[in-house]
Amino acid sequence: MIGLRRALWTIGAIGVLTLTAQTTLMAEADFVKDEGLWIALNFLIGGGFLYVGLFAWYRRPDNRVGTLMVITAFAWFVGMFANTEPAGLFSIGILVSNLFVAPAIHLLLAFPSGQLYTREDRILVTLTYVLTSIGFLPIVLTVDTIPHGGFNPPDNVFLIEHNPDFADTYGIFLNTAGVIILGWVAYQLVVCWKEASPPMRRVITPVFIAGALLMGALSVLLILDMFKVSHPSDLWYAALVPFGLVPYLFLGSLVRAQMLRGGAVGELVATIGGTEPPDNLRDALARALNDPSLELAYWIPETATYVDESGRQVDLPRPVEGRAVSEVRHEGRLVAALIHDPLLLDEPELIEAVGAAAALALEKERLDAELRAKVAQLRESRARMLAFGLNERRRLERDLHDGAQQRLVSLALDLRLAQAAVREDPDRAEELLEGANAELAEALEELRELARGIHPAVLSDRGLDPAVEALASRAPLPVEIKARLGERVPEPVELAAYFVVSEALTNIVKYSQAKTATVAVGRDNGSVLVEVTDDGIGGADPNRGTGLRGLADRISALGGRLQVDSPEGKGTTVTARIPCES
Amino acid sequence: MRVVVAEDSVLLREGVVRLLEERGFEVVGQAADADDLMRKVGAHKPDIAIVDIRMPPTNTDDGLRAALKIREEHPDTNVLVLSAYVEEAYALELVSDSAAGLGYLLKDRVADVDAFVDSVERVANGGSALDPEVVARLVGRRRQADPLENLTPREREVLELMAEGRSNAAIADALVVTERAVEKHVTSIFGKLDLSPAPEDHRRVLAVLTFLRS
Repeated sequence: MIGLRRALWTIGAIGVLTLTAQTTLMAEADFVKDEGLWIALNFLIGGGFLYVGLFAWYRRPDNRVGTLMVITAFAWFVGMFANTEPAGLFSIGILVSNLFVAPAIHLLLAFPSGQLYTREDRILVTLTYVLTSIGFLPIVLTVDTIPHGGFNPPDNVFLIEHNPDFADTYGIFLNTAGVIILGWVAYQLVVCWKEASPPMRRVITPVFIAGALLMGALSVLLILDMFKVSHPSDLWYAALVPFGLVPYLFLGSLVRAQMLRGGAVGELVATIGGTEPPDNLRDALARALNDPSLELAYWIPETATYVDESGRQVDLPRPVEGRAVSEVRHEGRLVAALIHDPLLLDEPELIEAVGAAAALALEKERLDAELRAKVAQLRESRARMLAFGLNERRRLERDLHDGAQQRLVSLALDLRLAQAAVREDPDRAEELLEGANAELAEALEELRELARGIHPAVLSDRGLDPAVEALASRAPLPVEIKARLGERVPEPVELAAYFVVSEALTNIVKYSQAKTATVAVGRDNGSVLVEVTDDGIGGADPNRGTGLRGLADRISALGGRLQVDSPEGKGTTVTARIPCES
Repeated sequence: MRVVVAEDSVLLREGVVRLLEERGFEVVGQAADADDLMRKVGAHKPDIAIVDIRMPPTNTDDGLRAALKIREEHPDTNVLVLSAYVEEAYALELVSDSAAGLGYLLKDRVADVDAFVDSVERVANGGSALDPEVVARLVGRRRQADPLENLTPREREVLELMAEGRSNAAIADALVVTERAVEKHVTSIFGKLDLSPAPEDHRRVLAVLTFLRS
């Protein structure tokens, strides 16, 4: 910051020296008509760009607008040497007398962010720089005396060979190119204005109008020049008026915004500091920031997501989406995010002031939003639990119907047939009874498995550890039990933990292609912690099957959390934390 | 041979009693809950008590706890536990430090009358009868660096039958080989698993179970 300040002071001093020297030289130059006017214009335009530019540069070092204004000022100064007597300076001044147009156009197209966003803009600006610098070279090389409205101008030191025909032809080409570029710039400005948001328009309109007037006036001058129509120098002065206004308009908008916003922040503090909280915090903030498009998002630390005021989850826009995000903190904790026009990023102090003023009110709203989010979550989870329960009943019904019941029907049939055959064909009867036996054994096996799936008896009889061991030994892959609970805990907790292990192992077998798995159950800080890990392919989506989802609901019903960590190619870890006082 | 049968389902209890009496057992007492069972065993001192795991009063594992108590308080009464499902945890709990005079079978096995009666006799005579499903699960448990992988398929079969509590003669019958061949397999298994050979069948059960649970 110190370095920047020193650099800016140096630039300012150079500017003062240049202005002083030029004033002296211009006053001495005999050939210049209206020398007093030129001296005044130099102060107003060159000086204006320089000092407003330095001020803007200092206030917003990250925004290039200030820098561009300073560059415009010096381009203008160099051109002004065309009004001085020394032949060398005069010739250089003539060569670059239109150079200031290039940074001016650059400034207009980059206003107010200081950045050129489109390829067209960048092409245009480059072309302008080229045309207004070396573009003029062929003319000064071939014209001995540059007509300059005055009399007896100094010698052209660049002259190689006087060739007015070439100069005329080239001049027509140069002027045509100039008109095309000016028209193109005007078109880009209109497009930019049309696409701008309302607050953006308020900022750019005055500057753009001045810019459009400059484009228009310059075009007229170039066209008149092309057709050799002599024109009064008043026209040239008229063209410079809107151009000269640019820094002052910019300064005005800076100061006005600052004052307006200072007042708005004061008003905001008064509104939200009162005993009655404002009905609509967003509206109050939108007024203070002068951004009607403002949106608020409240931070929910538990889920690490943002929600709107009704508790619905919102995704923050990415920077490319034409919106900007500023975080608001209260006592160091993230409270909310303001989603606003990127234009406001140019005023970090304002956002900070508004954020600080509103932090407490935002924190209160955040708590409300968090509560609403929780209620919504509970409602959803309750609905899912119900649906899960219904699905389970349906599955059981189907399993019973397709399994044991079918087998018993077929068994009944076998017995009937055996009964009929028992006298005439005892061998056949025996065969049928054999089949019936097998059928019966299958039915019993299925019923046993079904009962285990509903509620494993060993779990209620002996607790989690033997039940988990039974799961591990049934699994078709080696399952190492790394830690055991070693005590009984309330049945709902045991049951939830059991199903975490059961579902996780089922998923491992189905999807993970793992070679081994480990299970750890333990106590941690007033909770039962269950962790099932595999060495498979990872990439599991916790929202995929209904299994894990139903499990998550079952666990959240106990106030716990289920977490699935499954990086691609790095295995899967399912962790459940179920609150359980010891 | 004197038997007490404890089973809360009247239908099943009477079925088992009828079956046993047909095969020459003397059913000296029937019980419908764990307390009743303890009383009958105390009164009749039977050779064997056949006990359902799930019984009143709590309808959880009352039968299992009663079985453990009988083994502690009435060492002369052998116990055969029946259950609608089998759990390795229960089997290991029952065997604990001795598989002598102990059985643990799935209820379904009653239907295969010959095998069931054979198991009852084995247990009543101080031998063991572990349900094939328990054994299969213990043997089938996947281990890292599994020493069981060194066994031939035939040796695995022999190991399972051994763990069920069968004698060499019974194993030979089941696999249709000579007893001599079974003995060779058994020696090889004990060598491969680094176990010291045990002479009695029920000690072999304990040795194999101890190995399988580790």
